[in-house]
Order: sequence, then C-alpha cells, then structure tokens
Amino acid sequence: MTAGYAGKILRLNLTKRSISVIDTEEYEEWGGGHGMGSAIFWDLCKDKTIDGFDPRNSITIMSSPLSGTLVPGVSGRSEVQGIGIQQYPIGWFTRSNFGGRFSGMLKAAGWDGIVIEGAADTPVWVNIINDKVSFEDARNLWGLDTWETQQEIWKAVTGNAGLGEWLRIGDAQTTQRPAVLCIGPAGENLSRSASLIHDAGNGAGQGGFGGVWGSKNLKAVSVQGTGGIKIADPKALMDARLWLEQYFSYQKGEQAVPSGCEGCIKLCTFRSQKYGNGSSCADAFWYSGEMGNTEVSLDDTQKSTDLAQKYGVNICDIMAYVQKLTFGGYLLTLYEMGILGPGKTIDSAPLPWDKLGTLEFSEALLKAIAYREGIGNDLAEGPARAAKKWGRLEEDLASGILALPQWGMLWHWSLPGVEWPFGSILGDRDIAEHDFEFHKVDAEKKEHDFESLLVDEDTNEHELTRNRPTGVAIYPDQTPEQLVELLAGKTIPYTGDPFMFSYAWQGTNGSNMAEALKTGIYSRHKAKMVAWHRHYTRFWKQSILYCDWMFSNFTSAIKPDHSGFTPEAEPRFLNAVAGQNLSFADGMEIGRKVWNLDRAIWILQGRHRDMEKPAAFLFKPGIAVDNPLPVYINGKWSVDVSLVDVFLDESGVETFKTNFYEFEGWDTSTGWPSRGTLEDLGLQGVADELESAGKLGSSGTYNGE
Amino acid sequence: MKFPRSEGYLVVDSKKCAGCLSCMLACALVHEGEENLVLSRIQISRNTFGLYPKDIKAGTCLQCAKPKCVDVCPTGACYVDEVHGNVRVIDESKCDGCQQCLEACPLVPKMIIWNHEKNVAMKCDLCLNAPYWSEQGGPEGKQACVEVCPVDAIKLVKKVPKGPKVVLDEFNLREGNAR
Repeated sequence: MTAGYAGKILRLNLTKRSISVIDTEEYEEWGGGHGMGSAIFWDLCKDKTIDGFDPRNSITIMSSPLSGTLVPGVSGRSEVQGIGIQQYPIGWFTRSNFGGRFSGMLKAAGWDGIVIEGAADTPVWVNIINDKVSFEDARNLWGLDTWETQQEIWKAVTGNAGLGEWLRIGDAQTTQRPAVLCIGPAGENLSRSASLIHDAGNGAGQGGFGGVWGSKNLKAVSVQGTGGIKIADPKALMDARLWLEQYFSYQKGEQAVPSGCEGCIKLCTFRSQKYGNGSSCADAFWYSGEMGNTEVSLDDTQKSTDLAQKYGVNICDIMAYVQKLTFGGYLLTLYEMGILGPGKTIDSAPLPWDKLGTLEFSEALLKAIAYREGIGNDLAEGPARAAKKWGRLEEDLASGILALPQWGMLWHWSLPGVEWPFGSILGDRDIAEHDFEFHKVDAEKKEHDFESLLVDEDTNEHELTRNRPTGVAIYPDQTPEQLVELLAGKTIPYTGDPFMFSYAWQGTNGSNMAEALKTGIYSRHKAKMVAWHRHYTRFWKQSILYCDWMFSNFTSAIKPDHSGFTPEAEPRFLNAVAGQNLSFADGMEIGRKVWNLDRAIWILQGRHRDMEKPAAFLFKPGIAVDNPLPVYINGKWSVDVSLVDVFLDESGVETFKTNFYEFEGWDTSTGWPSRGTLEDLGLQGVADELESAGKLGSSGTYNGE
Repeated sequence: MKFPRSEGYLVVDSKKCAGCLSCMLACALVHEGEENLVLSRIQISRNTFGLYPKDIKAGTCLQCAKPKCVDVCPTGACYVDEVHGNVRVIDESKCDGCQQCLEACPLVPKMIIWNHEKNVAMKCDLCLNAPYWSEQGGPEGKQACVEVCPVDAIKLVKKVPKGPKVVLDEFNLREGNAR
C-alpha cells in the first residue's frame, strides 16, 4: 500500500444496515478526494440520471493521502460528492468540501473514505470506532440541532471523560473527541438548502447534501480513530512544513485568538468567549452590515451565523435573501418593491420585516426555512425554485435582482474574473475557487488583507483582524508585464502564454471586441486558462484537498521576486507523504481525467452545449465587483481598475465555448468528449457508456500537448 | 531520591493555542516517522463547542523536579539523562510495559504516552531523540512542536516558570513573552 493512505474505504448500505469494504488501491490512480469519489460514484451508481433524493444516490466523503498529516491547508479537509438537489434546473452530480478534523480522524480510524448508499427506514447515525462500525438508532437525535447532535454523540462515545483526560479505546488511548458530521432540522426536513456540519461551523453546504442525508434518514456519522498514517519521507515532510511557514510568518505574535483546521497554519476561524468558533469570514457576511434601515450589530451577526450552523442551513443560499452587498438581497428587494410582504402577492409570513437587521428577523427566517414554515416552505427549495414557484424566475434573472449566474447558485466573485462564471457554467456549481481573484496591494501595506472577526483574548472585545490572503496580489513594485510573466511561468503544463491572463473585454460599446476575441476573455488563450483552472482544482484542490483559502499561491509579499509557492509546494508535500515522485504536470493530467469523468456524468444527466448559458443579467452592465485585472490592449499590458463595468457578450461567450471545447477535445456542437479524448485518458469504459447512451462526441482532440 | 533539575522546560499557552494540533502531528512525525495523534508526547484536546479559554486543554511533560515516573520505573528505562541537560527520558528498549510510570504521573492528561503498538511507555524528551528530523533537539536544540506552532504558543524555557503548580499549559506567551 502506498504511504499516506489508510488502505480501506468504508461502504455503508443504509437500506440493509450493512457494511462492506473497498480496497483503496483500486482507486489510487485518482489521487484521493474528488477523483476517487467520482470514480467510485461512476462504478457504484449505475443509473446516473436518478434524482438526488433517490435512495440509489451514492454519496462519498473522501480524504486524501495528506489528510491528518502536517501539511497545512489540506490536513483537515474532506470532499463530499453525489447527485445534488440544490442546483437548478438539474441537480447535477456535484461536490462540496469542508474543513475541521473529520478526514484526519477518519484516516486514524483506518478509512480513506465513506460511501453512503440506500436509505434507512428509521433515523440512524453511524458510529465508527476504528474498524468497528455500527448503525445506531437516531430517533432520539432527530429534531436536535447540529451542535446538540454532536455533543450527544460525544457523550455516547466518550462517556463522561473530561477535556484532556485519556480515553481508552481498545488497547489504545486518546484525548480527542470523536469527529462528527451531521445534519440539523433543515436536512431532516429535506431542504435543498441544507448543509452537513462538522464541529461548530465546518460546513458542506453546496449541493444540498444535508437534504440528501435527510432523505436517507441519516442524522450523523461519527468517527473515532487511534491509528497512524505511514509517511514515505518524514524528514522531507517536516522540512517542507517549515519551508512553507516562511510564506506565512506575519501572523506570529498577534494578540487575537485565531484557530483553525487540523494541521493548518492559516487559521481562518477564532476562539470566542461568546460565539461558535466556525462562523467566520464569508459565513458571517450573510447577515451583516446595513440591512434595510438597520446596521446589524456584530453580536447579531455572529449569533445569526451560529444559528445557521445549528439549523444546518447552507449559508451560500441564504446569502441571496437579505444581504444586498453580494448582488443578493432578493427577498428584501421584492419586499421594497411591494411584491413580497404581509398580505402581498407573495405572502412573507412568518418573517417580521419590521425587525429586519435584528436577531429576531434572522432567527425567524432560518427557522422558517429549516422547518418549512410559511414562506420558508418555498425558500427551503432554494432561491431558484422559490422564484420559479412565484412565477418570477425568468424576469428576475434577467433584471439581476435574483443574482444566480448559473445553476440556481448565488453570485460570488462572478465578474470581472471570467474564469469564475465560465468555469461554473461548464461545470456543476459556483466554482468558489479564488485562485485568480486579483487584489492590488497598497504601497504602505505588506499584504492584501481579508478582514475577519477575531476575539481579543484579554479584553474579550470582538474586532476585525487580518486574515491571510488568497488569490493573486498585484504589488506596487511589479509591472503588469512582470505579473503576467510570473503567472505564465507557473501554470504548468501551459506555461509561456501570458495572454491567458488578459481580461480584455469588448468594452461598453463593443469597440474592443476584436481584442477580446483574439487575446482577451473569449480567446483561445482564455480557454486554455480556464482549462488549466479546471484541471488544477480538480486534482490539487479537490482530490489532494489543498484548501481554496490557501492554494494556489502565485504571489508572495515576503519573497523579493513576489513568487509564491505554486507550483513547488503541491507536489513537494504529496511526494514527502506518499513517495510516488509525482510531478505537478502529472497531477494536472489526473485533474484533466477527473474533469472529463465528471463531464461524462453530467452528459448522462442531460448536459449539452445549449444549456451552458450564464443567466441573462450577466450580459448587462452594472454587475461586476471592483477588482483590478491585467489587460492587454493595443499592444500594451496594464492593470485595469475600470473593469467594474465588465459584462458578457452573447456571441463572445459562444466563441469562448467553442474555443474551450476544441481545447479539451470535446465536440463543438454538443460539448461532449470524443472517444479519442476519453481513451487517451484511459477512460474507455466511459466512452463506451456515453456511446451506448448516444452521447459520445463525434469529433475532438485535446489540444494541450 | 534527589534528581538534578532539567535544563529545559516546554511551556504552552493554552490561551494562545489555535487548536490546530500541528504540534501533535509534528511530535509523532519526528519521533515515530508517522502521523499519529495518539502517539504524540504533547496533547492538545479541544471542545469545539466550548467557550474560550476553557475550550482547549494542553498537556506537556513538566520535567518534574521530583519525577515520579523515574522514581517508580523498575527497569531503569525512565531516567534522568545527565549527559543531555537532565531531561527525563524513557529508553524504550528497556521498558517492559508495566505502566507504573503512567499511573504515577500526576498530570492531567497524564504525560506518559502509552504506545499500544509497541507496548512501551513514551514521554517528551524535548526532541533529544527525534530520528525523523534533520534538526538537533534537547535543551540546547530545537523542538518540533515549538517550530511548527503557527501562533508561537509553545516555547522552551530554561528555568522552572514561576507560578502555581501544574500550570505550564497556561504559561503566558502573549505580549512581551512571545519570541
């Protein structure tokens, strides 16, 4: 067995309440995480066209060889996959990902992943203690929130052992609490906006897997492990860890009390005397700032976010309802238009609009969704289906008051960085991959910051403190040419093409269309860049599980040449742990294979070129967020801050799609991979299945070599 | 029996700790060559639903002035290493697995680590014997947990810290005390 892996994958059949074991070796070629999950789903879920609520839906929760190791930004993450119920109009085969310590504990228990199939006839939770796996009665847990559920399970597994006391498990002993992944009331009530929650706020929200678990009568999976993980080269791992810390030295000695996932150095969450420790960053954004006539207090923001974690509601969905700063605020907008409210066309009971901006309103909204009360019954279906039921979907997607760029999922960083909407529409979900989110660094600041709520340990005052950066920084001492050359040098295997990073667009009056098609956002160069991003994330971030909030890392404030640790770090850690001497390019090729396998599943679900159209509001001005981007116009590179005007052009997007399909070796009329493309990747069986479904692309050759 | 005092003490500020368990992963890695929280000689336990500062309990060996683990060891496996700064260490090859040291340890959690795979007791040696690390440990060297901690919540000090008994996990490494 290769180092880094536990060697076994646990297969649970909830219908029969039985278990079986898959040998991890059968799937090692996929790396781990998403790749393994897709391959297992392909093999086990015979009919890919089933609905996400169908008991035959196979859900995988996968770790990677790096889970539970000293590799920062990976160790604690888990990948969840299966047919989703959130996306619109089709619940695509999709993914979500959560942090914490679940995957590390899973490996310590001897498992690389879990496959969940079937549905139990009454509520169950699964108790994994090393190689002992049992189905437990969850009727007493049904109705509890996610925090109560986990603490009840802790009690059941660890008895009354105090914090820090050794707990005997067989011959071994541990001071650790079991790692539990569970659903709250929203999942129990089959909401499409329901998440899986681990610890206080590590959530897998996108895809609606909480509702899928609810439909399977699965309340929780608890893992307690006391084993070890073999490491191919321990010295190399320790050296690599200390090497990477050099890139992150500036938080040392700060006064606040950050906390983080297992093995990480980025520490995106915090310890608090008042609040849950998982409600940080964008989570808390859903109910903060100005709301109607009220400024939401920090206290109400944190409490509202904790409530969302407890009810197990997907915050990415509810962000669409009353937070206007994210191109959301849909319910609030309809309320202000006089369409939604007490006694209006859309009755909004039980929402207390006079209390908007307070905890009373947020609690009423969350409770309504989780328990399907009043308007909550519509909202439990997610924003797209709610709008559809109200007969408003087309109109509101066109105007943009319902800001769902693709697949019924909320606007994120969708423009001006086009790889975001393009990658999302070509895939299954809002990509939520911040690799190319550009930020300009002020001359006086060392690093671009995200601000995150942290607690001052001595005063217990809550204050905004620096979080560490993600995306690409643009430094004052760096020319635009240096920036794009840096990126072009790091994007193996497509190095040497700086036009991949030009965001030149057609312009407000369309006068720059020729450049946009030639070197800009609709060009073959951009198609290659989007392909790089799809392949990179599919392998390095979603299969090996490098966290989006830390990887990739193109730029560094600390290094004199501003060169970040991508593409050196990714294979360096993997090889120290697993010892397979895999290159960055090898990983990219596996990523391309995973991406094509996912593509095949979507095609069997009904995907066609004609469906891959962003929502109408993306083709109108006034939607992009204010981020600077490199552009190449009239033979000259610059960093343009005026791209806040960016919107898409319909024919330009179609040209981009053709360029992209051509690059990937997919049929340009359908968007379906050709037999040659799939067979080159070793996916003959996939090609056969597409062919028998009449959905194999008739032509296309991969153009990346 | 009288023992010479250790020339180094590992202290943890549990109020500063981020709960990332990196120290535990590093400890097991450099000593055992694998990742294993159970075999770490520093232990961080976290109640992820608890409120600060009682949400984290840190455990480190105090290198006691009167080490009961050394006192009770019937085989001489647990001893004071006078060649290397008087660190209290266990020679695993001499340990017969009687677990008397584990029972004698007064700390919570007990900082004698039971290796159930080898049936031997282990303890913090300040990285004196860390075969899977390129650095030199001991009171004059480096400690893996100190090196990897992202928030400088662990430190090696040369003298017994002042304060009430058994509070090394509440050593203040904030403000002026941080390195």
